[in-house]
Amino acid sequence: MEEPSKFERYVYKNASVYHYMKISLVLENGNQNITDAQFKQLIICGLRDLYGEVGASFPFDLLKFDQNELTGILRVYNSGLVKLWSALTLLGSYQNEACAFRVTQVSPFLLALSGNSRELRFGDQLIS
Amino acid sequence: MVRFKSRYLLCEVCVPDRSSLQLLEDRSIYNTLRAAVKRAHGDYGSALFNIGVIVKYLNAHTGVVLIRSRKKHYRLIWSALSFITCLENRGQMVQCFLNCLHVGGTIRTCQKFLVKYNRQQLHRMLPDCKTDAEKQEVRRAILSCSLSNVRDEEADEDGSDDDDDDDKET
Repeated sequence: MEEPSKFERYVYKNASVYHYMKISLVLENGNQNITDAQFKQLIICGLRDLYGEVGASFPFDLLKFDQNELTGILRVYNSGLVKLWSALTLLGSYQNEACAFRVTQVSPFLLALSGNSRELRFGDQLIS
Repeated sequence: MVRFKSRYLLCEVCVPDRSSLQLLEDRSIYNTLRAAVKRAHGDYGSALFNIGVIVKYLNAHTGVVLIRSRKKHYRLIWSALSFITCLENRGQMVQCFLNCLHVGGTIRTCQKFLVKYNRQQLHRMLPDCKTDAEKQEVRRAILSCSLSNVRDEEADEDGSDDDDDDDKET
């Protein structure tokens, strides 16, 4: 009797070491000139307020930054995702001005951040 | 079955000169620890500190401190211990560091460990004794280590500790 062909399935619980977050900064008084270094420094200050020196030293990267729209893509290790997200939520002011961070997308894979169905634009031909 | 589990951190305050140790208060250790946790772990750390941490026992003669915290967050408090460099005591700054000897689930286990630890310290002190009288006293203190009257025994050992240290310093 022939053995049935082997079927193997791999299930990864933690497929990716990192998590990627697409965020945008909304200021009360409109856009200011914020460079990418100041953007990252603002996030680190938020982390330091909430989680202290240990939290502020957690490594994360700002992969992409758009100065006009004030949007960016952050990369953080899996263990620090909750801390970073909570610090972004509770960050309230930039240079004595009210501000807020909006988290648009979070994904363990960077490729998922490239296509967002919310930003899909249909061509004119489809509307008929 | 359902109760608050805690962890007791048995620590020792190490100072360069023992005389500054005498005036130590548990309130100063509590305040210093709270400041260290706030600096190291921020708002989250100070909130956890306010809930569950209390200095349960302090021995000014030997510098033994017993700090109690919740079971879930004892590592956070423990990590902030290493950031303490000086204690403030009635306006004076005392340079010190806190050395964690043992982590126990109950006060009783910490007491048992403290008795064993003190006995080891006395053993270590025995070769350094200069006179026979000191040796006799240290041997008596070692033999009388037991858990039944822990408070009395600790007072006796503290007495012999101080005697030996004073004799060694002169």
